[in-house]
Amino acid sequence: MFGFGKKKKTISITAPITGKAVALEQVPDPAFAQKIIGDGIAIEPEQGVLIAPFDGQVIHLIDTYHSLVLGHESGLELLIHIGVNTVSLQGKPFKPHVKTGDKVKKGQTLIEFDISQIKEAGLPVITPVIVANGDVVAELKANTGSVTANSNELMEIVLK
Amino acid sequence: MEKQFTIKNPQGIHARPAGAIMKKAAEFANAQISLEFNGRKVSAKSITGVLTLGMKAGDIITVSAEGDQAAEAIDAVGTVIESVLD
Repeated sequence: MFGFGKKKKTISITAPITGKAVALEQVPDPAFAQKIIGDGIAIEPEQGVLIAPFDGQVIHLIDTYHSLVLGHESGLELLIHIGVNTVSLQGKPFKPHVKTGDKVKKGQTLIEFDISQIKEAGLPVITPVIVANGDVVAELKANTGSVTANSNELMEIVLK
Repeated sequence: MEKQFTIKNPQGIHARPAGAIMKKAAEFANAQISLEFNGRKVSAKSITGVLTLGMKAGDIITVSAEGDQAAEAIDAVGTVIESVLD
């Protein structure tokens, strides 16, 4: 390479929820903890608001509103899953602000969720934020610790 | 070749069962495995693809495969599709 070859693209993923970012292994669901679905990080939410971490599109909002897949213009797909086993709540603690196919702007509210209602149902609120199409990723760096939505970087992803 | 399977999970194919389908499909590295439902066809190896089909209990899914061990791949993925993972 002579320096003017194809430059690898790096995407910065801003925190989509305010809370504490922890390793995916902390999620009490083996599908996420063992990275079967994909690599990424999890957030223990302190505020029940999920925002868009980048400009993109809602590829899929699950019909029980607890999970969605966001597409970045680069082709990267991000799956965000609010809580564990929350499919069983049939949408009740979740208020979606978007639908499948919507274009979204960074910082836009995607889903509001009631943390206390989820906890009262006996379910963890910990929220995996993972790359759904890991085949496009060359390198993923995740930051743990306290994060503020739309402010701190949660992950840095280098594409192939 | 292709074969049809019925979703039995009362909660449909949400993230965890979708992950199980994808994991099984990935075991067949040299086969292209597709799921078809409602006029849409996706790769069984894509979590996004599997989720976007929005498969519910009672839905009938067509699984098709090409490449190495295509028949085995269809049966293996079909078994996961029909299983009830909570």
